Amino acid sequence: MSFTLRSVKVPPNSVSLEEARSRTFEFFRSACRSIPTIMEIYNLYDIVNPSQLRSAIASQFRKNAHITNPKVIDMLLFKGMEELNNITEHAKQRHHIIGQYVVGNQGLVQDSGSKDQGSSEFLKNFYSGNYF
Amino acid sequence: MGLGLLASRALRSTRAFSPLNPRNVRTIVSTPELQKPEAAAAVAQPEADLPKRTPVAGARVHLPNPEDAIEVFVDGYPVKIPKGMTVLQACELAGVDIPRFCYHNRLSIAGNCRMCLVEVEKSPKPVASCAMPALPGMKIKTDTPLAKKAREGVMEFLLMNHPLDCPICDQGGECDLQDQSMAFGSDRGRFTEMKRSVVDKNLGPLVKTVMTRCIQCTRCVRFATEVAGVQDLGMLGRGSGEEIGTYVEKLMTSELSGNVIDICPVGALTSKPFAFKARNWELKGTETIDVTDAVGSNIRIDSRGPEVMRILPRLNEDINEEWISDKTRFCYDGLKRQRLNDPMIRGADGRFKAVSWRDALAVVAEAMHQVKPEEIVGVAGKLSDAESMMSLKDFLNRMGSNNVWCEGNGVHTNADLRSSYLLNSSISGLENADVFLLVGTQPRVEAAMVNARIQKAVRATHAKVGYVGPASEFNYDHQHLGTGPETLKEIAEGRHPFCSALKNAKNPAIIVGAGIFERNDKDAVFSVVEAIAKQGNVIRPDWNGFNVLLLNAAQAASLDLGLVPESDNSIESAKVVYLMGADDVNLETLPNDAFVVYQGHHGDRGVYRANVILPAAAFSEKEGTYENTEGCAQQTLPAVPTVGDARDDWKIIRALSEVAGARLPYDTLGAIRSRMRIVAPNLLHMDEREPATFSASLKPECNEKMSTSPFGTAVENFYMTDAITRASKIMAQCSALLSKQ
Repeated sequence: MSFTLRSVKVPPNSVSLEEARSRTFEFFRSACRSIPTIMEIYNLYDIVNPSQLRSAIASQFRKNAHITNPKVIDMLLFKGMEELNNITEHAKQRHHIIGQYVVGNQGLVQDSGSKDQGSSEFLKNFYSGNYF
Repeated sequence: MGLGLLASRALRSTRAFSPLNPRNVRTIVSTPELQKPEAAAAVAQPEADLPKRTPVAGARVHLPNPEDAIEVFVDGYPVKIPKGMTVLQACELAGVDIPRFCYHNRLSIAGNCRMCLVEVEKSPKPVASCAMPALPGMKIKTDTPLAKKAREGVMEFLLMNHPLDCPICDQGGECDLQDQSMAFGSDRGRFTEMKRSVVDKNLGPLVKTVMTRCIQCTRCVRFATEVAGVQDLGMLGRGSGEEIGTYVEKLMTSELSGNVIDICPVGALTSKPFAFKARNWELKGTETIDVTDAVGSNIRIDSRGPEVMRILPRLNEDINEEWISDKTRFCYDGLKRQRLNDPMIRGADGRFKAVSWRDALAVVAEAMHQVKPEEIVGVAGKLSDAESMMSLKDFLNRMGSNNVWCEGNGVHTNADLRSSYLLNSSISGLENADVFLLVGTQPRVEAAMVNARIQKAVRATHAKVGYVGPASEFNYDHQHLGTGPETLKEIAEGRHPFCSALKNAKNPAIIVGAGIFERNDKDAVFSVVEAIAKQGNVIRPDWNGFNVLLLNAAQAASLDLGLVPESDNSIESAKVVYLMGADDVNLETLPNDAFVVYQGHHGDRGVYRANVILPAAAFSEKEGTYENTEGCAQQTLPAVPTVGDARDDWKIIRALSEVAGARLPYDTLGAIRSRMRIVAPNLLHMDEREPATFSASLKPECNEKMSTSPFGTAVENFYMTDAITRASKIMAQCSALLSKQ
């Protein structure tokens, strides 16, 4: 943990939403710049190409697009930087990257969706688990 | 009595009085005042402003006769009590919890532990408050140095022969002796000799004994004689040789024997299956309802993670008081065995193959669409909750079939008048009866808690019990009148000696067993019983003594919801049978090409014939409404998560209805309950007994003849009646050891 913390510098809080926004873009660019390194160290050439990774990163950003509180954005930026550091320092393993950014949240077992078409929300929930 | 309560009282009084009056500092250690209590007591206490006290555990007193009330003073605080109350009860009303070991409010008073000593003004010695009747104007002092010294002395004597094995004792953490020695005991021991040791007794597969820990409070002896009605336990020897035991090597054969574990204030009697399994502070308690019989005892399921560790009773004066039967208490290990955890389809080779829910439901829907609507049959099981039975009936009705019923109800059961299938006197009301007529029912095995009420009435008021049915064991005095319907006819025609007892009774109660539902001549039997009821004036505006004692948890709710089959021989002509947890339904007459769906939580009898298995949740894993035999709706709450890929019962039927193209209009429990409100609104009045509105006299006349075949036994083996108890190892041991005797 200590080596990660050393490399992550906590920047001062963003004063305004504009500052937070510019920081976000800055961070997105630095993440994109590290994609070639990531491809290299995790040996991802045969399963993914840089543009797919870039859109995976962008979708992580878009997930939080609705947030307007600069403090929250700062916190998310910090978490993102920590994650990026962990990845570039090879603190993760290949399957972590594949699981989180290549395959995605839906997992390896992907329903084609054609079977459940037209069925109610209840039935979809029922197939996925007992507690809903 | 928890340590917390005692300790907080001690702390509170210290904080309140110490700055003003340092003499009153209340400590646990021996103090110089305690060595000379007389001198300390001699100093007059200044009259302080007394804070308003609240009675212990919300105790309330009903004064029927205000003239009979007397006033006593507890620590200077006046309290009004009815005549005949003991000093200890007066103290409880005044909000003072007196430490005690032998006193238990549901048992007779022994007065032998001496822990409840208090000081009474003008009495030369401290008095045992549990055995001393309160007298008018008595000035009771519970907090004086004399009382404290007395308690400290008693604790010292009790701990003299009590082993210091709390770290390996199962009672540790919920032990009265442990709590009270922390609150009232001395901080050091003066004991240097050897402790006595006592040989452990074998009381059977349920109760573990470590008799060295026993403090001879005799609660278990009194419980066995007074509540369980068996004379198994007793006191042997005198002085330091005193022992609790059975005199000869003998197992405890009561069906309520597990309750001695709860009433034992120390770790002498503990649960054998629970031994060394968990500590009470790591368990999560869930207040729920028992479903192994129709009584609906209130229980607390203690769980750790996904595992049910033990089951304890919960207080409910109207249903189970504070006792539960052994089946209720020890069936929980059946919840871990033989569970169905995946949807399965039987292949061509006769073996089950695990499939996904999607495939299983598609196969069932396909099978249902291939037969005529009236060839679909649904049977709800013994343990079904009202919500799932409602959805099963709605689903089959939407598919075009009305052949749906609950097992144990027989054919042509009258579901129109609630009074004809409920225990109309109510369980607690049975205490008021003075003559009982049991028709084809053995309450001891069918509903142990109802039997305990009858036993209580027999013991308290010497109520007479007449019994018609096969030879059976009772734990109270009874007259065996006969074995079959002809005896009933004799009573109805006034030719039997028992008639006079029934006629002279103030509150006669007739209890008919639900085993009669399975007889072909049940309408005739019921009409004869109603004739007896008419003669004996059993049904009056102020007393309804006509009772039906049901067998299963699902029965009352299923009849309320109208789960009655349309045709008599629906099983013979069935092509698709939907068993919702039904294991005891007779499938021998079912055609060989019939398609059987089993939805349930245990791989029991129903699975042998099933083509598709849909795994469901057991009562400990779901929220469900159950109505007990007296008509009181109660709710179970999920204590542990479901096993594997199982789902709640009503959800399975709701999902299947959509796959089959007859979608049910409810998606939530709330919605399904508002549907139930239309059919049977009483099922939504939780924890309230809803008595039947119309009496059985509205029933049409019956012209059938009773057959001469004698009544049968409805429950062959008390310990194994349903899928859960049949899967339980403890219940198997019990039936092997205890039923044969």
